[in-house]
Amino acid sequence: MASIELLLLFTLAAGVLAFFASKIHKLLGPIVTILASLFVFVSITYFGYNGELDMSVSYLPYVTFGFSYAGLFFAIIVTFIYSMVSFYNPFFAKKYKSPAVYSMFYLFNLVGIIGVFFTNNFLVLFFFFEFLVWTSFFLISFGKSRKAAVSYFGFSSVGGLSLLYAIFIMHNAAGTFNIDAGLAVISGTDATLVFILFMISAFSKLGAFPLHIWLPFAHGNAPHHFSPVLSGALVKLGAFVGVMGLLRIGSSTYFIDAIGLDTAHYIIAILGALTIVFGTLMAIRQDDAKKLLAYSSMSHGGYILVALTLGSSLGIAGGLYHVVAHGLSSAAAFLAIAAVSRQTGTTKMSELGGMIHKMPITYVVYLIAIISMAGIPPMGGFISKWLIFQAVIDQGLIFVAIAVFFGSIGSFLYVFRPLASLFLGQELPKYKDKIKEAPFFMLVPMLIFSVLIIYTGVFPNFFLGFINKIIVEVGVAPITLNNGVIYILNGTLYPTLIASVFGVGAVIALIIFLIFPKSRKVGLMDTYTAAEFIYTEELLHYSNNFYAPLERLYEKYIDIMENFYEGVSKKVNQIGRFFKYYFFSNKPEITVFWIIILIIGLLLGGDLL
Amino acid sequence: MLNILAGIGIAFFGFVLQTSVAGFNRKVTGRIQKRYGPVWYQEFRDIFKLFTKRSVTHGWIFDFGIIMALGGTIGTAMFIPLTTHTLAFAGYDNFFIYVYLIAVGMLGMAMSASGSGNPLASIGVMRALTTMLAYEVPFMIVALTIINLTGTSSLTEIALMQQGQFNWFAIALPLGGIVGFISLMGMLGKKPFETYVAPAEIASGPMVEYGGKQLGMLLVMHELSVFIEVSLFMYLFLGGAESIIMFLIKYVLIYTFANMISSVNGRMKIDQVVLFFYKWPLIMAVTQAVIAIYLGWVI
Repeated sequence: MASIELLLLFTLAAGVLAFFASKIHKLLGPIVTILASLFVFVSITYFGYNGELDMSVSYLPYVTFGFSYAGLFFAIIVTFIYSMVSFYNPFFAKKYKSPAVYSMFYLFNLVGIIGVFFTNNFLVLFFFFEFLVWTSFFLISFGKSRKAAVSYFGFSSVGGLSLLYAIFIMHNAAGTFNIDAGLAVISGTDATLVFILFMISAFSKLGAFPLHIWLPFAHGNAPHHFSPVLSGALVKLGAFVGVMGLLRIGSSTYFIDAIGLDTAHYIIAILGALTIVFGTLMAIRQDDAKKLLAYSSMSHGGYILVALTLGSSLGIAGGLYHVVAHGLSSAAAFLAIAAVSRQTGTTKMSELGGMIHKMPITYVVYLIAIISMAGIPPMGGFISKWLIFQAVIDQGLIFVAIAVFFGSIGSFLYVFRPLASLFLGQELPKYKDKIKEAPFFMLVPMLIFSVLIIYTGVFPNFFLGFINKIIVEVGVAPITLNNGVIYILNGTLYPTLIASVFGVGAVIALIIFLIFPKSRKVGLMDTYTAAEFIYTEELLHYSNNFYAPLERLYEKYIDIMENFYEGVSKKVNQIGRFFKYYFFSNKPEITVFWIIILIIGLLLGGDLL
Repeated sequence: MLNILAGIGIAFFGFVLQTSVAGFNRKVTGRIQKRYGPVWYQEFRDIFKLFTKRSVTHGWIFDFGIIMALGGTIGTAMFIPLTTHTLAFAGYDNFFIYVYLIAVGMLGMAMSASGSGNPLASIGVMRALTTMLAYEVPFMIVALTIINLTGTSSLTEIALMQQGQFNWFAIALPLGGIVGFISLMGMLGKKPFETYVAPAEIASGPMVEYGGKQLGMLLVMHELSVFIEVSLFMYLFLGGAESIIMFLIKYVLIYTFANMISSVNGRMKIDQVVLFFYKWPLIMAVTQAVIAIYLGWVI
């Protein structure tokens, strides 16, 4: 038995310990984060999976815990990513002013996560939600830009406050802060309002259109070893809120028969679709590898939203499996980029090239991660995308499907960009001699991620079996799984077979390759240049403006949302100035103006009376 | 185990078939251009010549990518049903396997090409991916319509539905059939959508650095992927094949027709390709989907 309460207190204490340990030696604090987060992950997974988590509370005031499969599912994924990424903390400890504070907040973050996913009380949920936002705000501000952290905090606060408002409405209706009671009781107009508020909260966490501005900004500027957590784990909190809002609030809007969805869900699906398209288009044109991955996280958040709105067992399974698949692959890709940036000092693709020759293992990790992100078998991303495709097709959502397919093919484009210009291509002379492969303990978590990505793609039924429990929990029929085969309404998939057939194909190709004459090795500069004489690597490296012809088609329109928000902020400013001018100024003319208004008012009022 | 052997047999059959048909089509192109054209087994000669030649390599990723490319494509070809009853893995011929497993091959090839360090190869890969972004979306919308109507995404079951309940989808969904064929031209890299190969412009794009066995393997991969794409079109739109003879007839007709259109066309620029596909084919595909799914009008 493991008590959630003790686990939470343990993590809190470990955070404080990490702070003081860092004061003794710079590396001690980060090592404490590794041990503590691993301990939390192992105990939650082991005891949670065996159903032995103790939810009773004896020390903390007001806090109550309750078990749900959805909470456990998210907690396992998120704590796993935290524990894996924590291996990077010692290597980046020297780069920041106070690693002590970083380590402490890293573990405080975990406290927030345990609280959010295991509570059954809305107010406690809100408290830990804000705690999480607040601690991660400090973690992000360790990075390149303070402004990014502020932007993250602003959008997250909007999400948090709308959640609070929804909680109060439900408390009014149900008379209790209990989550299950509140979600069950709510109906009618209240339900629509609560639904909208929940969606604002989920959108702001997932970084979905139109509340996405903070996401690339924060992901791109966060510390290199915090971005994996942010994208793989923290953003998934939005999916958790989305599960509550989309699946557990009874709908009260007009039901559209042709697509089998009610209007509210359909609007959310359309917004999810816009998120996919917008994220994809923006990811294609980024030069910073981290920003590219950030926009890809946004687009994948759109997939999760679209899948969850469908509400069918297929959609829920696809969405939740996508949480796993994207969490793993995104964390792995961000870790690979973090490793590159540690060795070279930059994440700009136009400044890098040929890293594969010095960092082959990092390259392989990145390759496996992007195969999964692009939804290509035999990796986990294929399974989730397949489920989402089938769910969308099943409902006949044509316009959402355009976005879903566009995002899927578009992901080939943007994930290939770092592969081609950062890892492959010419080996630039400035990195030729100085760069080494990342240290062993940085490779360990990356390789574990890779193994899991392949595992989720070849044997998905273990995770899908777990997801089935969540599907039953929200009151939908589970999907049929049998011996490694997934049976759904309009299709059957046997992932293990696909993987082994691919293996057979690769073996045949390898045999063909080996039996024919061996090739002579030549350098990278020894290439066909149409009789031009080129001696500098930079001139033979195609990495700037990779998709220029495609970007040209839409670059006029990319600033629309930024301009919109800028316009809004200008308008708010104007209104503020208006009020300041008329209400809060000490100019005599304003005072005279108010006196005149007052007199007119009194006169008119007297007249009317 | 037997299934896997059957799959390998189907892939080998596909290779032999497509290589012969491609050779025959070189003759067809020749006649259109008032030449004689080479013999029908010229493609076999080319491939075998390449395999016996010594070549150069640009490092491990250059070779690894080729193996991944050919492996993925052979794997996909093993899933192809020859007739509606002759297939290696009955029941598991899901439509999405063909679209996405073949992408492993494409990714491998793209990786290997970029690994050669030649900028022309990277430009070719960029163009190939952009073209893919263009043709795939309209094609998938039509596929969505078909899967939604038939209620199954198994390729053979879709074909069986066309032999029974529905007309061939090229007839039942006329707009969709046209979109499907235009997308097929894009998939096959036929003119006017062959921007990513563009021999005179970017020196055959991704293929620029290859020679010897590497080029030979790429040619085998190319033949196999053409086999997959043409078969996919046949099963989605032309009712599949009841017997092997029907398969051969339909196959040769589709490929020759595509080739004939190709040989009288020029080459589009890459942004023109994207604009083209996102204009008429997409509008037609969406119109078709709305008519067929929401209104239920199917011929």
